[in-house]
Amino acid sequence: MASNALPPLLPKVDAILVLDGDGNRLAGKYYGDFMKTPSAAATEGADAADNAAAAQSVEQLRSSFERQLQSKIGGIAAKPDAAEVVTVLGKTAVFCGGSPAGQGGGGDVRVVHVGPAGESELVLAHLAEGMYEALSNLMGGTTDRAMVLDNLELVFLLIDEHCDGGIILETDGQKLAGSVLLRDEQEPTMGHGMEGQGGGMPGQAPPMQSSGGMGGLGMGMGGGDMTIGQALMQARNQIMANLNQT
Amino acid sequence: MAEGDGLTMNNLLSEVQGALDKFKLEDEGTGGPGDYYSPYANLEKAAVLQEARCFHDPTAVRESPRKCCTVIAQLLHLTNTGQYMNSAEATEVFFGVTKLFMSDDASLRRMVYLFIKEVAETCDPDDVIIVTSSLTKDMTCDVDLYRANALRVLARIVDAAMLGAIERYVKQALVDSSGQVSSAALVSATHLFERNEESAAIVKRWISETTEATSSPNEMVQFHAMQLLYQIKKHDRLGMQKLVTQFSQRNTLRSPLALVLLVRYTTKLLTDEVAEGRQSGSFQNGTNFSRAGYAFLEASLRHKSEMVVYEAAKSICSLPGIEPQELSPAVNVLQIFLSSPKPAVRFAAIKTVSQVAVNHPRMVSKCNEDLEALIADANRSIATLAITTLLKTGSENSVDRLLKQISVFLSEIPDEYKVTIVKSIQRLCLTYPAKHRVLVGFLSNFLREEGGFDFKRSIVNSIVSLMKQVPETTEGSLLHLCEFIEDCEFTMLSTQILHLLGELGPSTSAPARYIRFIYNRVILENSAVRAAAVGALSKFAARCPSLRSSILTLLKRSLGDEDDETRDRASVAVSVLKDAMEEFPYLAPAEDADPDEEPVPDEPQAGDPAAFVLLQGLPMSFDRLERSIRAYVKAPAAMDSPEQLTLSTLPIVEEYEEPESAVDEGDDIGADPALAAAVSGKEKEKKEVIDPAAAVYAIPELAALGRVFRSSPPTALSEEEAEYVVTCVKHVLPEHIILQFPIQNTLEDQRLVNCTVTVEGDSECFEVAGEVAAESIKYGETVNAFTVISRIPDAPLSPCNFECVLNFGVVQVDPKSGEDESDPFEEEYPLEELEIATSDFMAKVSVPDFRSSWEMVGNANEVLEKFALQFKKQEDAVAAVIDFLGMQPCDGTGHIKPGEGGKKPHMLHLSGVFVGGTNVLARAQVAAQGDASGVLLKIAVRSDDPDVSRMVADCIR
Repeated sequence: MASNALPPLLPKVDAILVLDGDGNRLAGKYYGDFMKTPSAAATEGADAADNAAAAQSVEQLRSSFERQLQSKIGGIAAKPDAAEVVTVLGKTAVFCGGSPAGQGGGGDVRVVHVGPAGESELVLAHLAEGMYEALSNLMGGTTDRAMVLDNLELVFLLIDEHCDGGIILETDGQKLAGSVLLRDEQEPTMGHGMEGQGGGMPGQAPPMQSSGGMGGLGMGMGGGDMTIGQALMQARNQIMANLNQT
Repeated sequence: MAEGDGLTMNNLLSEVQGALDKFKLEDEGTGGPGDYYSPYANLEKAAVLQEARCFHDPTAVRESPRKCCTVIAQLLHLTNTGQYMNSAEATEVFFGVTKLFMSDDASLRRMVYLFIKEVAETCDPDDVIIVTSSLTKDMTCDVDLYRANALRVLARIVDAAMLGAIERYVKQALVDSSGQVSSAALVSATHLFERNEESAAIVKRWISETTEATSSPNEMVQFHAMQLLYQIKKHDRLGMQKLVTQFSQRNTLRSPLALVLLVRYTTKLLTDEVAEGRQSGSFQNGTNFSRAGYAFLEASLRHKSEMVVYEAAKSICSLPGIEPQELSPAVNVLQIFLSSPKPAVRFAAIKTVSQVAVNHPRMVSKCNEDLEALIADANRSIATLAITTLLKTGSENSVDRLLKQISVFLSEIPDEYKVTIVKSIQRLCLTYPAKHRVLVGFLSNFLREEGGFDFKRSIVNSIVSLMKQVPETTEGSLLHLCEFIEDCEFTMLSTQILHLLGELGPSTSAPARYIRFIYNRVILENSAVRAAAVGALSKFAARCPSLRSSILTLLKRSLGDEDDETRDRASVAVSVLKDAMEEFPYLAPAEDADPDEEPVPDEPQAGDPAAFVLLQGLPMSFDRLERSIRAYVKAPAAMDSPEQLTLSTLPIVEEYEEPESAVDEGDDIGADPALAAAVSGKEKEKKEVIDPAAAVYAIPELAALGRVFRSSPPTALSEEEAEYVVTCVKHVLPEHIILQFPIQNTLEDQRLVNCTVTVEGDSECFEVAGEVAAESIKYGETVNAFTVISRIPDAPLSPCNFECVLNFGVVQVDPKSGEDESDPFEEEYPLEELEIATSDFMAKVSVPDFRSSWEMVGNANEVLEKFALQFKKQEDAVAAVIDFLGMQPCDGTGHIKPGEGGKKPHMLHLSGVFVGGTNVLARAQVAAQGDASGVLLKIAVRSDDPDVSRMVADCIR
């Protein structure tokens, strides 16, 4: 019986998925052998056709898993600090996010952590909440499909900073967002207190910052560390404010 | 002023307008959903690969690192959406990416790391190696971010030899002041440890650095260090115990994740203590470690992090053999968690509580109120678990209230959850059989609701299995099922139910009332259901003579059915019924019969042809019949023999050793039905059964001896790693025993010739009749030698031991060329003794209905015996008795039901066929006699032959 499984002694997640409201995978990473079974036989360096066929079936496996996952999580919105749990194919899936457009709460994108049945739901929830916090931090609070797709490379980096080969690297949302934006970790012990926005060093120009064009609008930009999305949000707000004045 | 204002206003407006236009251009990337365009939408692999060429252009790399970043992200996105690069493409792009090390742009470098990790699996490892020097350089630079990432990438691609070369840096990194670097090093080391033996050996040398890292101020570093430390020490039990005790007492770990790990390690060690017999009973009075371990778990229940508290509670609940008072603090914590605002906490708590409920329902019953509140939980998984738990813990008088709550809830959840609940209700009905009317009624209500096939089938299966286990439900359930098939869209369920009605309906108190339901199917349904209905009707007619004339009328209407199967069944039934009614006309009891008089039972009389044709099943299952006929065809002699092929002359085939399928607990609400189906499908895949006697039939001299009655599983006559590995398969024939010796030659420089196995025994009933030698056995080959033993017909069978010696000639062989180098010289090789016991002559064959067969054989040749057996456990004694007799356990009596062991005497039903075709049945009562005095066995053996009964009873030793 799956639910009797003892908790793993070397905790690993099986997959981390960033799904949009309809369950499409925006970004994601599968670890270890999870959803890999048919290709297990495909040896490395096999000819291209074989590889493609194996890849195809892996992709099919994954998307069928994601469909089943979506059928269970679709319609459930989880608060950023209170992840929801479902079980799919004997795996425990914990997720944050998923509030439909226009109802506040960030956006329709969900961050899903899939773990083995024996893994503690609370541990997985801790991970999902941490990553979701980092994601909404990076996306300037708007975790909808469009915003995430536009900043996909940040999402890739986030997953990579969060988890290495299934082993969790970092769970703190602020620290995660910090490393994705290439802010050097200054004082490890003080990391908690650091606020996401003002923390960057003025001397080190954050490379993710969008610079071309925006300056022409003559808007004062806040701290150095803004994502494109955040910058655009800010620009939009200023223009709206200007219009309202008139 | 006003004018000026207006002008400014106008100016401002136009300026804003201009800005807006400009902004719109900029904004295309993130605009509204309508005209939304993303750099990652509709990517073509070929186009992106083309773009990726720019990596080779040094100016492009230097001038526009942003663009390179985007291209890499696009490549990653492609892999992410299933458009994988093949090996050649990946390698090409990979070389491009290596050029990007020229750029000093930090974010570009970061993407390069990420990309190398992604493709490391697809590319040729030899190609990947070329980035090692760049990475090593980054690893020794002073930017933490570079160092951490370079380390992680390196860990993916290095082999053990290279790891040795960079070991110095990694060791430094393990204890680096930067948490990021230290964590990266620890995690990389954990991966390397799992990679292969050589790398693991290197990682083991870092134990002191790892230990140092556990006292890092950074929480994640503590967690990663604990993890690695466990990996290194996991096979060292005492070392691990010391480690766990140290950390749990010193209280230095601040990271909740690290504490979760510590709790898990403690639990693992405690479980091992129990499994290895050092600990039993209360943990608080156990060994030093048990006491300390339990104390730590108990203290963790008061930690401030919910994660740690839950882990400790779950661990305590999972400890084997835990005493209720030790369990109780954990259950208290879980009870509080049940009403947590966080769904994950509620889910985790209810899942654990439902597991505790299996073994300690009493402990959980105090949570019942909280559980009932969870039935309305928005998360349906939680609600379902709450219900199934309540069904386990609820008392008999709360059943009605519970059902009411469930019925409100059940209509709004998906089928999958409903199936789980149906199974729980079935189990509840077994616990409280007195409530069967309510529970079965509840189940059948749901048959009428909307629902998919799996849901409906699970209800039908539950009702049917309840009929078997709680016979009082039969009549009510049959009527419920009748109503269900009135409006059932699933052919499979309809036919299944119709068949069941035909089996069970006629023996109920008023069989006539089912006829209407069945006949309705004949009128209204598709061909498969019509055929099943006709079959059911004819069974009613055959079993109940009083209904024959009316059913005959109904059946005649199907004689013109357009479906062949339906028509055929109807014609067979009509014709035999007509004959039977002529031969045994039904006499209705006289109207004025004395009411006190025993009514004539409505049963067919002996010799009734209709009853015989329509009711008698095959004497064996179809599966067995098929295997039996296959075995018949295999034996060459039988095919030429002039004797008629009848069921009784078919060879006896033994039962399969069916692998025990796990008891379906039904709690795993997440377990996907499709997955389960896949698993059971795999089990169902028929293993190609190789007739063990095929080797015998292949040799003409042996084949002439006749058909093999049964073949024993192979027994080893030598050590597995001996020079010559010999096993033995005993083929029993009516008058002979053929011993088949597969001989394996494991010596590279030898070839064995003319191998025989000499068998010598001191027995009155066996003598060696001949040998067939294995002519030549090369290195690595296995060849059979045979020895034939004949039975002396008059002597009674008795167990006998034979001494076996392998005789053979050795030819020295050149291992390289395989050519002979010497002439053969004789050798002998002693083997272990071979035993021929009475049970070798017994074929494990089950009988469909043990009780009736037992009555039928009668007690004329019964042998009764009593034995006191030296077994400590009842289970062992049962297994031994089955083994001694070599017979097939029937009616599921081969295993003692869990939980009943030792309390009651166990009744074992065994059946088999003795050589020569005598059916043998045995009933054995196995009773434990307290602690040390062993087990008392009473056995009764029945067969048609008193000698056989005696011999079988004497098998017990």
